[in-house]
Amino acid sequence: MINLINISTRRFIGTIILFTGFLFVSQNAGAQNVTLNLKNAPLKSVLKEIQKQTGYTFVYNDNLIQSQDPVNISVTNSSIKATLDELLLKMRIDYEIVGKQIILSPKKSAEKPGDKLRNITGRVLDDEGKPLVGVAVFVPGTPYGTITDNDGTYSFAVDNNPDLTVRFSFIGMETKDVKLGNQSRIDVSLSLSSYSIENVVVTGYQTISKERATGAFSKVTTKDFEVKRLSSFSNLLEGQVAGYNKGLIRGVTTMNGSKNPLYVIDGFPVENVKYTYYGATSEQLPDINFEDVESITVLKDAAATSIYGARAANGVIVITTKKAARGKTDISFSSSLTYTPYEFYTGNLADSRTMIDIEKEWAVLNPKLQSATASAYASNCLDKAIFPTSGIKNILSYYAGRISQAEMNAQLEVLASKGYNYIDQVSKYGKRDKLQQQYNLNVGNASDKNSVYASITYRSNRLEDINSKDESIGINLKNSLNVTKWMSVDFGTYINYSDGVTQTFNLMSPGYTIMPYDDLVNADGTNYTKTAAERYSVENLKKITDYKLYNMDITPMDEIYWNNQRSRDFTNRIYTRLNINILKDLKSSTSFQYEYGNYRISQLFDKRSYKVRSDVNSSVTYNAGEFRLPYGHEYYTSTNLTHGYTFRQQLDYNTKIKEKHEIVAQAGFEVRENQTKYNSDKLYNYDPDMLSYTPIDEKTLSSSASGAWGTFSLASNLDRPYFREYINRYVSLYGNAAYTFDSKYTFTGSIRWDRSNLWGTSSKYQNKPIYSVGLSWNLKSEDFFDVDWVDMLKIRFSHGIGGNIAKNSAPYMTASYSNNTTVGGIQGSVSTRPNPSLCWEKTTTNNFGVDFAFFDNRLNGALEIYKKAGEDLLANTMGVPTEGYGYTTYTINNGEMTNKGFEITLEGDLVKKKDYSFGGSFIAGYNKNKVTYVNVKAPVYYLALDYPESYPRIGNPYNAIYGYKWAGLSTTGLPQIYNSKGEVISTQPSDIESIVYLGTYTPVYNGSFSFNARYKNWTLYLQFNYEGGHKIRNTFVPALSASYSSALASYVTSLSYRVNSKITDRWKQAGDETKTNVPRLVFEYDPSYSSYLYTIYSMADINVLDADNLRLSNVSLSYKVPDLICKKIYMSGARLQFNIENAAMWAKSKEAKYMLGGYVKPNYVLGLYLNF
Amino acid sequence: MKKNISRLITTIVILFSLFSSTSCDDYLNVLPKGSKIPKTLADFEAFLRDEYSNQTTNVEQAIILLNDRYVTVANLNYYPLQKANYNWDETANRIELNSSDESTYYMQYKTINTCNLIIEYAPTATEATEAQKNELMAYAKVIRSMSYYVLVNFYADTYQASTASSELGVPLIESANLGAPYEQVTVKKIYDYIIQNVTEAIPYLPNFGTTPLHPGLGAAYAFLARVYLTMCDYTNAAKYADLALGINNQLYDWTAFYAANKTQIENAASYTRLIDPCNYTFVENYNYRHGATYYSAAENPVPIARIALFEQGDARCKARWKLYTAGNDTYYYSTLTGYHNYGGYTTTEVYLIKAECQAREDKLSDAMNTLNAVRKKRIIPEFYQDLTAASKADAIAKIRRTKDNEMLFSIVPFADARRFNAEGTYANTRTFSKVVGTTTVTLSPTSHMWTMPFPKGATDNPGNGTITQNVDK
Repeated sequence: MINLINISTRRFIGTIILFTGFLFVSQNAGAQNVTLNLKNAPLKSVLKEIQKQTGYTFVYNDNLIQSQDPVNISVTNSSIKATLDELLLKMRIDYEIVGKQIILSPKKSAEKPGDKLRNITGRVLDDEGKPLVGVAVFVPGTPYGTITDNDGTYSFAVDNNPDLTVRFSFIGMETKDVKLGNQSRIDVSLSLSSYSIENVVVTGYQTISKERATGAFSKVTTKDFEVKRLSSFSNLLEGQVAGYNKGLIRGVTTMNGSKNPLYVIDGFPVENVKYTYYGATSEQLPDINFEDVESITVLKDAAATSIYGARAANGVIVITTKKAARGKTDISFSSSLTYTPYEFYTGNLADSRTMIDIEKEWAVLNPKLQSATASAYASNCLDKAIFPTSGIKNILSYYAGRISQAEMNAQLEVLASKGYNYIDQVSKYGKRDKLQQQYNLNVGNASDKNSVYASITYRSNRLEDINSKDESIGINLKNSLNVTKWMSVDFGTYINYSDGVTQTFNLMSPGYTIMPYDDLVNADGTNYTKTAAERYSVENLKKITDYKLYNMDITPMDEIYWNNQRSRDFTNRIYTRLNINILKDLKSSTSFQYEYGNYRISQLFDKRSYKVRSDVNSSVTYNAGEFRLPYGHEYYTSTNLTHGYTFRQQLDYNTKIKEKHEIVAQAGFEVRENQTKYNSDKLYNYDPDMLSYTPIDEKTLSSSASGAWGTFSLASNLDRPYFREYINRYVSLYGNAAYTFDSKYTFTGSIRWDRSNLWGTSSKYQNKPIYSVGLSWNLKSEDFFDVDWVDMLKIRFSHGIGGNIAKNSAPYMTASYSNNTTVGGIQGSVSTRPNPSLCWEKTTTNNFGVDFAFFDNRLNGALEIYKKAGEDLLANTMGVPTEGYGYTTYTINNGEMTNKGFEITLEGDLVKKKDYSFGGSFIAGYNKNKVTYVNVKAPVYYLALDYPESYPRIGNPYNAIYGYKWAGLSTTGLPQIYNSKGEVISTQPSDIESIVYLGTYTPVYNGSFSFNARYKNWTLYLQFNYEGGHKIRNTFVPALSASYSSALASYVTSLSYRVNSKITDRWKQAGDETKTNVPRLVFEYDPSYSSYLYTIYSMADINVLDADNLRLSNVSLSYKVPDLICKKIYMSGARLQFNIENAAMWAKSKEAKYMLGGYVKPNYVLGLYLNF
Repeated sequence: MKKNISRLITTIVILFSLFSSTSCDDYLNVLPKGSKIPKTLADFEAFLRDEYSNQTTNVEQAIILLNDRYVTVANLNYYPLQKANYNWDETANRIELNSSDESTYYMQYKTINTCNLIIEYAPTATEATEAQKNELMAYAKVIRSMSYYVLVNFYADTYQASTASSELGVPLIESANLGAPYEQVTVKKIYDYIIQNVTEAIPYLPNFGTTPLHPGLGAAYAFLARVYLTMCDYTNAAKYADLALGINNQLYDWTAFYAANKTQIENAASYTRLIDPCNYTFVENYNYRHGATYYSAAENPVPIARIALFEQGDARCKARWKLYTAGNDTYYYSTLTGYHNYGGYTTTEVYLIKAECQAREDKLSDAMNTLNAVRKKRIIPEFYQDLTAASKADAIAKIRRTKDNEMLFSIVPFADARRFNAEGTYANTRTFSKVVGTTTVTLSPTSHMWTMPFPKGATDNPGNGTITQNVDK
């Protein structure tokens, strides 16, 4: 009965999943003798039955078996040999019994090898040079073929036809085709295929077999990258790893600690911490040649990450780079060209006519212009240069009697007819299409003694701003030397050098207000100059003359050349590892890595630039009219110098007792240091040829720096020498063990202690260990589990805690000191208050997972369900005002937060034929984040709006959006909201309770689905990424914001080129409030004017949009050059690929699409990949 | 082979033990840079030079209530609390509106915290003599008291001998520890505390402090003169005024400043700003403290009506503001910039305290002589005439006018107004009335608005104590 079911299941599956598989290996235990009674049964199922009864394993080529007719067989308690003779003899199949294996092969031809046949021999090895047993070696479409023996060698006869192809195929490995040609010996090495559901998990500290893993991980390999441009980690991982979204793994786990996962390259954590201009630290992703990446394993739960200790609560991204394959020297070359057309999206932007209409409305509604004193008012406004836009200036000129009404109207009409003039001109003269080039060459060779791999990547990017570009070169070298049979030494280094120029002058904010009708280039082709006369008040213009100030004109198209920033970075990583097999089961490895980075920025502010002229003018004194800054180039430099090392000593124990008990254990200790030194300086009147500069009076310029022309102050870090230094040291002790019984049950555990030099962390507060335990059950290995189509089924559970670091807290008072520039001496202030109960953050993760592979691995995947609960999270708490800390939030272990979710990964190879194949994958991650405890409340209502992360609320997600409840427009067209009492108000409510939760801005679910289809040499791949359940605030609302006018010493309605075109839907007359939500224009002269009108409208719930979206993130069409052609040009493979990145986006609304960046132009990529 | 392996094991064991025996604590005792744990006396003394935290006196709402500063309509619309105070809206619930205006409270308690910290840690600080420690603690005691003076005159009822021991004042906190307990004590207790602190400090103070930010003996005397005047204790006020003038009695000659910058000052079209001489090194200084801002900035603009309260020919007034129209607004535009000693103590105030004490004792001509000594340095000679007083009330009115003008943007005009209001007799020496839109509004001397409500941030997050509002709205 069971047989029949199996047969019919197989047949059914056989029909839907057309097998082209090659090999089937399975094992079972049973008696030696066989009893069979089958009619019209496929040979394959007969073999299975025999296997089941005897425990012998069949090793065969699928082609051989499937081509046979169904059989009738009836034997009772027959010996295995007799049964096989009975069954196979008539089928031209030979068999050979080797131990418990029965190897089937086509009957050796009766004909002798002669003219028509010749013998082919060779050996098949895996990546690590170990022989592969049972690899099918055959010539597709012919009966010729065999299987490799225990040594990995094979030998068989084949037609003497050089055009034939020999195929090497093994379950879990990439299939390899080799042209026969005139060879008589073909040695190959097969590498792991990504489809074989990653057989091993690389945690960085160890490589464990997939079957023994109890933790949650996702692995992406070379094959997955093939369809993508190798440009960044997020490009490689987005849509490939369930639970990975925008650089974060399984949501946010911390409030104030580091949020990024830890990156590990070839076993070493790589942390790049740099200082920014303003003295804040920022974490950089490691530099790497992406072409070298063989696989990326993302470790998601505690069982996987706890080994990394206090830094791993956010997950770990483990990168393994390529090694040389044994055999002939592999050389590959790739190049890609990425083109991104430039476009400034104007689809939602008000054009010149709309803005002129608004400026006219400003005049019509302005009571001062309707009064008797209109002329004086208009003159005053013009003389004081209160309104900077040409439209209003024209109108005022008319009212001031400086031009006629006809002249005004003509002028306004000229302006109104200019469309998006400024933006068009910026696109035409100031921007260009982005072009990125990338070239890589890598070489690898391995022998018994030595393995060398080297690669070089060169990138050159031409960026949108016409002066911005960068290039980089990365060189990677890896060497592994087997010194003796029991000792090997690895050595590797990676060097990256990059050089870039960034245009810092932004044409969209050139230092004055721009309107869509403004010019960048004059009609005659010369560069447009915004003169001082157009921007300054009569009084200020007089000052320019009186004080003999430097010219204050701005010519944007000249300025873009005058203050470009050059950055030059050099980074290097070098490691060495000594591996010793002390005993058969005991290994030792001693490893050391050193990292060095030098990030240098230099910026020459040309003396012609507005920046220099303005700085020098600002330094002019009142009385003497003396310039305290010398006029000349300003030269800014900054350097980040980073270095770090990791030393690790580890012992690995790996044993198998009585075939049933497997123990894998390791223990080690690690010492790590990371250091960053930052310094910046600025020189004045710098001469780049003479290398000279003029010293300035820093003390005077730092203190009473106000002068006749504004204020020049050396207060900024960018204007005077500035130093920062940072040092982290860690000492860790760790251990980790896994015990497997009978290949079915695995128990794992790990523990780690970390201590560091961070403030107070070397004290008693930090001795809590980080640990994990895990269990897995390999159901497929159970005797009772007998489902044919299941190739793998494993259930696992893990529990553990991860930590996170408090870099800025201390158990005792710390203070920071600086120079006092007014009275002299040193001034100090308390930077952290004593926090005696400080400890590291603790995140407990429980993970339940199922791994499966069905239908000969055609369908495989994993399911994960997890809960991460963060405790003792460093959360803000408000200082008590009466204690003197009312403005300060300080962090204590005061937060709790949970992340619950599940993840699904499914991959399927639906059709796989010689000429065509079709497959797909589906990835989904769901994560619900909730703050479960925190004791903080925004002291002022607007802080809750502007800094929601600083003031999380219990019960809401951490990344929340807050806003006002919209109550429609008033009968006069003013925006209205509900306050906490439910009253409709048109003012800013002053209590926090009026601010309501409107959603999270982190996607609740996200994932991807992708399809790949191959026809002959053409492969098409489509990847769609989706995310949803989250919101985004529309920050581009159809209302006029406010800007500060120094002439008025007050806020005024702000006009600019960046106004939403929907402003034409605004309230215009009573009754419109039922039709529109766009408020009327309220100008600064209006009695009800206040800048909060804009705030309450833009912060209302109607401007929080559903952010659900679907992106066609990658389209890839590749053409594999036929082997025949490759051969002729001495190549072993060539591929041409065309990609479209970010090809399209669908969102719920146009506004949401705009906010999500859906109108950004796609990248077009052309890639060439060659193997020699 | 066997030999090799054992050799290697030995090597590894040595390597392993080498690293583990190196003292882990020494390795980890490298501290992060950029900040440190204060230990020496200098480490603590440096806190007094942190001007942002400890040397500001923001009394913005008092300035606005007095209409001493011009506020635009847009700003009034934006800040409802400013609007209530500026337009004397007695119906406004300022407790609710006071959700984001907390500088006065927050910054003064920040200063008090720093001083508490210094007083707590100085005795055990290293690298200092006893005398140096005592001097630093004395500075901290005076500064702490100055902050309490501002707080009690802003958030609590005016000191009146009859009610001071029953009316609640402001929280008194004496420890810098996290979660330190405090009590909102009576007005009298705060005044007693102030006097006690300054008295304790006096033996250790030099005439002038290490820097203008360190209050010396002169500042302590001047401060006590102000405190006693606020308490209507004219005898002690006069005594300490004289002691202060014994240390510094110089007056700055604003008429000379005017003469030197006359072209610029009299050029109605030029709004180029001059540097305010009333900064750190001003000759009149006993000590220096900022107003609302600690950085270099122009002064506040002033309403037209306020300028009218200046005497004709006031050189300082002419130097400070010019009539200005921009768009819809016409007001007096500040023409001085730099640093301004709004929060510290100067000789001018002490002269005027002395003058009032003399007037209170019916020594009218002495009082006028003292007042004229100041006026001579202020009023341009062509406008200057000695003032005489027809009566005590006249004398007090004249002294108050000069004092309100001279002490503009400090807590003094507000504290004085409250004192006159509470005392009653001379409450109307300055009246508050104006037209808003079409209605006439007034601020009566008995209005509840003369006491400011505690900010919401402080009452909502009281810490280890309780705070009771001293005013209903």
